[in-house]
Amino acid sequence: MPNSLFWIQGAACGGDSMAMLDVSDPDLLESLELLDISVLWHPSLSNGTPAEHAALVEGLLHGEIPLEYLVVEGAAVRGPGGTGMFDTLRGVPKKNVIAGLAERARYVIAAGTCASFGGVAGAGEVEASGLQFTRGERGGLLGAGFTARGGTPVINLPGCPCLPEVVVGALTALAAGATLELNAYQAPLDWYGMLVHQGCLRNEYHEYRVEEDDFGRPGCLFFHLGCRGPLAHGPCNKLLWSRRTSKTRVGVPCVGCTEPDFPRDHPFFSTRSIAEIPLELPEGVDRAHYLAYKGMAAAAAPDRLSRRDTRI
Amino acid sequence: MSQSVTLNVPLNRVEGDLEVRAELEDGVVTDAWCAGTLFRGLENVMLGRSPMDSLVITPRICGLCSTAHLSAAARALDQLAGVEVPPDATRVRNIALITEHLQSDLRHTFLMFAADFANPIHADLPLHEEAVRRYAPLQGDTVREVIRETKRLVEVLVLLGGQWPHSAYMVPGGVASALKAADLMSCRLIVERFQKWYERRILGCTVDRWLAVRRLSDLEAWLDEREEHRDSDLGFFIRFSRAAALDSIGRGPGSYLSFGGLDLPEGTRVRGPRRESRLVPAGYAEGVQVRAFDPTKVTEDVTCAWYHDYGAGRHPMEGETKPYATGDEGGKYSWIKAPRYDGRPAETGPLAEMIIADNPLFADLVSRQGASAFVRQLARLVRPAELLGPLTAWLHEARDGGEYYRSPENGIPDGEACGLVQATRGALGHWLRVSGGRIAHYQVVTPTAWHTSPRDAKGVRGPVETALLGVPVRDPENPVELGYVVRSYDQCLVCSVHTLRLGRPLGRAPIGVG
Repeated sequence: MPNSLFWIQGAACGGDSMAMLDVSDPDLLESLELLDISVLWHPSLSNGTPAEHAALVEGLLHGEIPLEYLVVEGAAVRGPGGTGMFDTLRGVPKKNVIAGLAERARYVIAAGTCASFGGVAGAGEVEASGLQFTRGERGGLLGAGFTARGGTPVINLPGCPCLPEVVVGALTALAAGATLELNAYQAPLDWYGMLVHQGCLRNEYHEYRVEEDDFGRPGCLFFHLGCRGPLAHGPCNKLLWSRRTSKTRVGVPCVGCTEPDFPRDHPFFSTRSIAEIPLELPEGVDRAHYLAYKGMAAAAAPDRLSRRDTRI
Repeated sequence: MSQSVTLNVPLNRVEGDLEVRAELEDGVVTDAWCAGTLFRGLENVMLGRSPMDSLVITPRICGLCSTAHLSAAARALDQLAGVEVPPDATRVRNIALITEHLQSDLRHTFLMFAADFANPIHADLPLHEEAVRRYAPLQGDTVREVIRETKRLVEVLVLLGGQWPHSAYMVPGGVASALKAADLMSCRLIVERFQKWYERRILGCTVDRWLAVRRLSDLEAWLDEREEHRDSDLGFFIRFSRAAALDSIGRGPGSYLSFGGLDLPEGTRVRGPRRESRLVPAGYAEGVQVRAFDPTKVTEDVTCAWYHDYGAGRHPMEGETKPYATGDEGGKYSWIKAPRYDGRPAETGPLAEMIIADNPLFADLVSRQGASAFVRQLARLVRPAELLGPLTAWLHEARDGGEYYRSPENGIPDGEACGLVQATRGALGHWLRVSGGRIAHYQVVTPTAWHTSPRDAKGVRGPVETALLGVPVRDPENPVELGYVVRSYDQCLVCSVHTLRLGRPLGRAPIGVG
């Protein structure tokens, strides 16, 4: 019997669904077949009638139809005033439908930052949160203590959107019965136990502190242009988008979209600094040593980097 | 015996959340209401932020039109900064927008629109079995190919922006990274490959052969000419749509709007219609009579949307968005405002672009038969044929190491600006005011708001509401005809967000109509 998957969107932009269509080899349909997954419903792809959708949701909520994977895209909206009526399905708050389905599913997967932490919707005033977090705080729609029937809490796969290979990777691990080790924000360490910085082609520029303060040049974007690569957790520069490249590789600073605090209040394209050293240093780095190290590194920068000769 | 039925239909395969309520008399729609049922409040997230943050936040309004929102935001910032975008950067922006259109036009047509060709309600049509083979969700032959080929095309967007959707590589003054020869070559190969596939599988002929179809009689001749034409997905689409009578439903209000898009960079060999400075001209048309576009005539009305009334429609620069959650009271029934041009509803998107650009085929089809779900979707399906030539030309013209970014000398000063573009689904505008270095006003009017607009102060229905009138529904349990009409507008509901400040709790279902 194939493993059933139900995809539901809360306050979503559809970006995680669109990214799923771009999943690399094996492609989306091949992956679903290889994993023996039967998609009961996807809001953009299924062609069942409204009546069939209603019957399916009812059947799932009452446990008449078994549900292996519930994938949630988008934030859970609780406004106004806790009613959830800013996001409804047939007049019922969508959050109630999501919570009901989560009770039935063997695994609950939050695809993207909105479903994980609230994301851009959570930054507004619709009282939106992730499934088990409101930004960095435990709780969210389902509560801190929630565990799905399979025994794991919500598996968060943040990113705006989430790299589609991560979603397929998580489904593959679950299908194989492998244990996904999660970090403090319930994101699997296999993909979130690394920094966006790792694998960035601008690393050598970062190393020797050859920095840019404007767009269009190949140096490091961390010191002035707000790049969060050394602080944000995710495999953008390991897996790469469409197996091609990443934002930092093409000169767009990382905006830290995998983090619970995304979108931060501080302007995205500027770095807060003290004495020309960023206020927020790469994860785990000691300020005094970093100051000394970066001073020496800048002095040791080879000419080919200072002249931006190195093509990346 | 006359039978009256009210249908409440939440529609899938429209991006975001749309519920349509329709009244049926003897199986024919006599009235309809479109309700947006999701409210995210992203414009409000913009307030108080740095102007540059619009490049990160606004693409996230929509995962489908991410590039279009980025380009509208960047255009507005170009204007504020008073910086001229260098020609190579204009090429990159155009290449990105066209690529977003191409993948979306095909995904929408075959994963979302044609999915209903496989609906059992059509089992009595001789073409149904083949439709299932081609378009069954997640399984059909065409579905498979479209997923595979469009994801390859998206690699162009990834090479330019690092990821798709939701990058921020268009910045005031150009684009963030200078393209290298190797990237340009990769993009060219991807597009050439895509064109070969589009010609073989979708058109069944070369792009040039298709572009020679300039009137209805040419279309008939094209269909009869070769088996490859009839059997292509375009040929099949035409034959199936006619068999299912999609050319007789979904006429709409007959007014068309384009904000214009794809600036012609200096020195390009690409030419626009009527010696325009853009490939896609701006304009407003009633029937096929095209007039000049005047951006001051755009307004939004909130009479039937859950916002505090402000009398007549307001220009987005003066618009306000104070939610007024009344439930069923007072005739309000949607979170989407009612955009109007010169006081009238208008359709936008590929068909509107074709009409406003004086495209001979679509001018002929619309003058003879009027718009319909079929004609509207046909325009979307063949738009890639119009855009592949310019896309390839711009990829060849863009230079290795060319000028891709001109730094704004004075940053982003205070002031007002707007970014008007043609997104995949039609006219998209961002209107903003910057004050004290911070965003003080941000209003977005999206193609989907134009289409799924509720009624206005005069009681005039939005385009989709109008298009649903007179549509026969065979089986109210399986109202596939409503789906065709609504989806022919390619809704992207998540786009239609508006600023939210906390309102009164809603006591009742928002679908309710007063």
